[in-house]
Amino acid sequence: MQNSLARANVTGLAAVITLFGLLLLASHSNELLRQIVIAPGSSADLGVEAACRADELEEEQLSLQECQLLVVDVQIVLSSSPAWFRSYQLTLSYFGIAAAVFSIVTAFGLINRQSPPFRLAAVSMGILLLIDLAGFLAAVNTGPLLRARYLWPLLLWFVVHLCALVASSRLAQQQSEVGSE
Amino acid sequence: MSEQRSREKNTDLRQPRTILLLHWLVAASVFFLFISSWWMLSLPLPSSEFIYRELPFQLHKNIGITLFFAVMVMAVTRAITSMAKPKIGKTFLERLALLDHILIYFLLALCCLSGYMSSSYSGWATRFWWLVDFPSWSAENDELNILFSDIHMFSCWALLGVILLHICAALFHAFGNDGLVDRMFRLR
Repeated sequence: MQNSLARANVTGLAAVITLFGLLLLASHSNELLRQIVIAPGSSADLGVEAACRADELEEEQLSLQECQLLVVDVQIVLSSSPAWFRSYQLTLSYFGIAAAVFSIVTAFGLINRQSPPFRLAAVSMGILLLIDLAGFLAAVNTGPLLRARYLWPLLLWFVVHLCALVASSRLAQQQSEVGSE
Repeated sequence: MSEQRSREKNTDLRQPRTILLLHWLVAASVFFLFISSWWMLSLPLPSSEFIYRELPFQLHKNIGITLFFAVMVMAVTRAITSMAKPKIGKTFLERLALLDHILIYFLLALCCLSGYMSSSYSGWATRFWWLVDFPSWSAENDELNILFSDIHMFSCWALLGVILLHICAALFHAFGNDGLVDRMFRLR
C-alpha cells in the first residue's frame, strides 16, 4: 500500500509537471512572438490611423471603436515599455522555453528511471521559479499598464512552480532517507 | 491485487514511439495555438501599413497544417495497432476513453481543415513554412470565409472542452497509479 501510494505520487507529480511544462512552453513561446511582432517604430508607434474597412469589421464581428482600440492596445504596450523591456523579455522568453522543455524532460525521467531523479526535478522547478521571479521584477519596474498585464499571471506561475518545487524536494528528501536506511 | 493486475495490463499495452512522440508534440502545439490565437486576434486589422498579424497568422497556419498531418499519422497508427490487439470486452470508462480519443482526433482534424478553408476563402495565400504555396480553393469569398471561420471557432471551443476532459482523465489515472499514464512517458 505504502509502495503503491509512493508510486502514485511519482506518476502524479510527473503528469502535473508535464502539463504545466507544456502550458508554460506555450506561454513563453507566445511572449516571444509578441515581443517580435510588437516592435518600436512600427505603424502603431508612428501614429498611423487604424484601417477599419466595413467588410472586415463584419467579418471579425468588431465595432468601429473596437477596431480603433486594437491599434491603441499596441500603442499602450509600446509607450509603456521602458527601453530595456523588449530585449529583456525576448531573452527571458528564450530561457523560459529552454527551462520549460527541461522540466518536461525531468518529468519523463521521473517515470523512466529506476530511481526517480527528484533532485533534478526540484532543480528544474527552481530554475523556473527564478525565471518567474526575473519576469516579476521586470514587470514591477514598468508602468501600471504593463504591471496590470503581467503581474497576476506571473504570480500564478510562481505559485505553481513553488508547489512543484516543494513536492519534488520533499520526495527527494524521502528518497535519500530510504536510501540511507 | 486488482490494482497490480490493472498496472501490468496497462504496462503491456505500450504505445508505439511514433505515437508517443507525436502525442506530446501535438499537445505542445495545441496549447500554443490556443494561447497565441487569443492574443493575435487582438492585433490591429491588416492593411498595407499594419502588418502585425502577418507573422502570427502565417505561423498559426503552418503549425495547424503540420498538426493535421501529425493527427492523420497518429490516427492511422492507432487504427493499425488497435486492429492487431485481441478484442476484449470494454468497461464503461474504457468506452468513454475511446470516445474521447475519437472526438479529439475528429475535432483536431476539423479545426485544422476549417481553418485552412477559411483562410483559403479569405484571399490570403498560404505558404507552408514559407516554402510551399498551398492552393486556394477559389477566389475570395466572404460568405464561405465566415462559414468556415465559424466552424473553426466552434470546433476549437469543443476541442478545448474535450482536451480538458482528457487532462482530467490523465490525472485521474496518474494518481490512481494504474500504469496507464506511465505508458505515455515510457521511452524504453
